Amino acid sequence: MQLFRHANSIYGGSDVIIGASYDLLLWFAAAGAAFILMHAVFKAVTKTGERASH
Amino acid sequence: MSTPDITRPDPAPTGRVLRHKLIDRIYHWLMALSVLILMATAFLPILGWKFEWLDLHWITGVVLTLAVLFHIIRAVCWQDIWAMFLGGQDLRDITGGGKPGKYTPAQKLYHLGVSLLILAAIGTGLLMLLKIDTPWWRRDPYWFSDTQWGVIYAIHGFGAMALITMVMIHIYFALRPDEWRLTRSMFRGWMTSKEYLDHHDPKRWKAKEDA
Repeated sequence: MQLFRHANSIYGGSDVIIGASYDLLLWFAAAGAAFILMHAVFKAVTKTGERASH
Repeated sequence: MSTPDITRPDPAPTGRVLRHKLIDRIYHWLMALSVLILMATAFLPILGWKFEWLDLHWITGVVLTLAVLFHIIRAVCWQDIWAMFLGGQDLRDITGGGKPGKYTPAQKLYHLGVSLLILAAIGTGLLMLLKIDTPWWRRDPYWFSDTQWGVIYAIHGFGAMALITMVMIHIYFALRPDEWRLTRSMFRGWMTSKEYLDHHDPKRWKAKEDA
């Protein structure tokens, strides 16, 4: 997985960063989905625990 | 006519307290619409949906910039800006389970994160306007070196992509039934007195009754 997009500079052919890698798009979306899933599971489990204790 | 005292321990549960004024709700939804348009015009072309995205993107970016500027001025001059800052009491709430003021520590932390990401995207986005022709100026990409432009584009890209995560989380909480009172208040402005007393400390958020 790359963090940056690279290209050759028009002035000298050296490798320069031209921006963030688009590969990260999926990872950021996955991070959001993972947080949502973990929170939903946590809330469901703690709610079940509260019901059981009553 | 004086405002009824709704901070007493056992108010009538039929009352409503004002959480968000109309102007703040308009700002919120304008910002939401702007961010969604900006994300769509940024990421859909990357995902393969080709269309003329640039004009819509930068014009929406300018609208978002003006909206955020308005929000900052309003928060500093007319609102209790400290209600959104994390403080020692928030840490005590987390460890001790006390009721929050208007905003929970998690909401304040989220606001801080989104603010940093949006300000980074706006700051770099305004610089990127130098690379396009607009009605007000001609493009001049020579303000920065290749390397500097690369850093500017990278910050813009990281900020924008991190906003995907934040928007997903925000929509998730807005749709959760146990948070519905907050979502409703962003549509209609109010929450019930019971919700107010159940979830907030009236000493730390002295809400007014919804007119």
